[in-house]
Amino acid sequence: MGSLQRRVIVGGVAWAVIATVIGGFAVTTVFDDIANRRFNEALRDRHTQVIVALGDTQSPDRVEAVLANPSYARVYSGRYWQLVGENGELYTSPSLFDAELPQTEFLTNGPELWEGTGPNGPIRGVGERVVLEDGSVWNVSVAASLNALSAERAQMQRSVAFAFGFVGVLGIAGAALLTTVLVAPLRKLRDDVRHHWDSEKDLLPEDFPTEVAPLVAEINDLIRRNRDILDRGRRQAADLAHALKTPSAAMRNELVAISRKVDGTAPLFEALDRIDAQIVRSLARMRAATAESAIHVRTDVDHSVQRIARLFRSLREASEVNFEVSSHAAIVAVDAQDLEEILGNLLDNAFKWRQRKVRLSVDIKDGMVDILIEDDGPGIAEGQRRNVVMEGARLDTSVPGTGLGLSIAHDLAKAYGGSLDLSRSDRLGGLCARITLPAVGLQARAISAISA
Amino acid sequence: MRILLAEDNATLSQQIKAALTEEGRAVDAVTDGEEALFLGFTEPYDLVVLDIGLPERDGISVLKEWRKSDMNTPVLILTARDGWSERVDGLDAGADDFMTKPFHMPELSARIRAMLRRQAGQLNPVFQRGPVVYDSRTNKVLINGMPVSLTAQELAVLSYLFHHAGRMITRTELSEHIYEYDGDRDSNTIAVFVNRLRNKLGKDLITSARGQGYQIDLD
Repeated sequence: MGSLQRRVIVGGVAWAVIATVIGGFAVTTVFDDIANRRFNEALRDRHTQVIVALGDTQSPDRVEAVLANPSYARVYSGRYWQLVGENGELYTSPSLFDAELPQTEFLTNGPELWEGTGPNGPIRGVGERVVLEDGSVWNVSVAASLNALSAERAQMQRSVAFAFGFVGVLGIAGAALLTTVLVAPLRKLRDDVRHHWDSEKDLLPEDFPTEVAPLVAEINDLIRRNRDILDRGRRQAADLAHALKTPSAAMRNELVAISRKVDGTAPLFEALDRIDAQIVRSLARMRAATAESAIHVRTDVDHSVQRIARLFRSLREASEVNFEVSSHAAIVAVDAQDLEEILGNLLDNAFKWRQRKVRLSVDIKDGMVDILIEDDGPGIAEGQRRNVVMEGARLDTSVPGTGLGLSIAHDLAKAYGGSLDLSRSDRLGGLCARITLPAVGLQARAISAISA
Repeated sequence: MRILLAEDNATLSQQIKAALTEEGRAVDAVTDGEEALFLGFTEPYDLVVLDIGLPERDGISVLKEWRKSDMNTPVLILTARDGWSERVDGLDAGADDFMTKPFHMPELSARIRAMLRRQAGQLNPVFQRGPVVYDSRTNKVLINGMPVSLTAQELAVLSYLFHHAGRMITRTELSEHIYEYDGDRDSNTIAVFVNRLRNKLGKDLITSARGQGYQIDLD
């Protein structure tokens, strides 16, 4: 749909162009008509002056003196008169010099407009056949160059175009200003939603115009419902975990007691292991499914990295491990608990398989946040990596755990539009797990490199 | 060594209590957060096993309340919620260790032993005084390399004195740490246990000062 502001500006420009063209054409036509009429009236007036001069003097050769108009005296001035008698006698204004007006014969029933070519281009004239008191008949013509009229028209068109252009620009600016004013509450709404989403506070409908207030109330409701869905999903998963794992733990303890007295309990332990793994996997799937419905979640990567790093540094075996953390300030569109779940599972795996070194680093690239967790352990053979990530498989059953950590991390990253890639660590030689997650408002700033 | 066990599942609670009692621990089992909070404040426990998902009041809030009031007893958190965020929250609330259900009982016992030893400032799990060797990992007692059979109470007294070696322990303190909340706390019986230990392990092992208490010094 594009932005409202852009739509209004594009629409405003289109409308201004159409209005300017149509309005300009209409105004030009009206002005043209007026200019034509004024031109013709002036011609008729001058024609009348010549007839009056001829009538007063009764002598064509004195007409020039009576008129005494300098524009008739200047050669090719653009204003001309001409008298043609019945027998072809010809009297012209000095301005015609050696030229003649093309139209020479007229009717007696009033002045007649005509157009033709004069000494300096197109001309328009008025002519009439008049009979003097002495009975002599004269064809009286007055003409003027049309060049002046054309120049006047062009000048007027330029003025009209300038005036309409100016009005058009004012109109567009006004539309843009009006849109900015109208869109301001929507912009505030967007900013408020962004700020309030992660907090528990509601947006305040009274801060917005009455037209927008119902939308604000709806958004409040949506935010609450989304939060509820996330919380409910987590609570259900936690309750289910408690409901399933506690009896499972009790069953395992009973089985241990039984196995001391009876042989052949190994298949029962294996079955219980499978049940436990299935519980972990199902809960992780519930979690990933909940994550998919999470909208507008924001997490400070560095904060979560430091929290999880603190946990792993507190482990009993931490003193045996060279655990290096290199973090960046970045915000990802992932829920904090889910990000920590991803980090925890990957670090747990790295700590299980490492020799001496584990490294966690954060990098920002192409709008995505890359989190690398590397160790100096045996790594995973290329052929098995996909299986481990997609299916969750215990490659070595002598190491405790469900073998689902990488798969859980993969499912969660995928639920947020990210990915988990496994490769060989160039730096440490063991496994390199690269989690890529969508970043929000990048502020790449290396905070610190901390080593423990 | 006296342990507070806060776990709402009766079966699991009994199993843990049985396993720990077998190792000579005095275990007070409670099933809700309020009771755990109260006992944690009022009884001198050596360690707490705390389930997060307790009714009435959740384990994390109980732990925070204890730590706010400078209750420094080591706490092992037990939870069915295996989220990493919750582990960090537990650690930040003041937990010393974390175990997720389902767990293996020997691992829980081992973690508890290690925590008790750390709390007492002892690094070596094997304690020795002259010919007497006490292995806290197996609860086995040897004299001149020969195993000696001890009752649960005798083992409890010996374990406490070894863990707090070098310090004079009063009868009251001993009785507070080897008897359960509703147990018979006649401090005179402590003298009986000490006497039996001296008979079985030699008179020089436990020194005493009249009216003050008992002490074991390590080699």
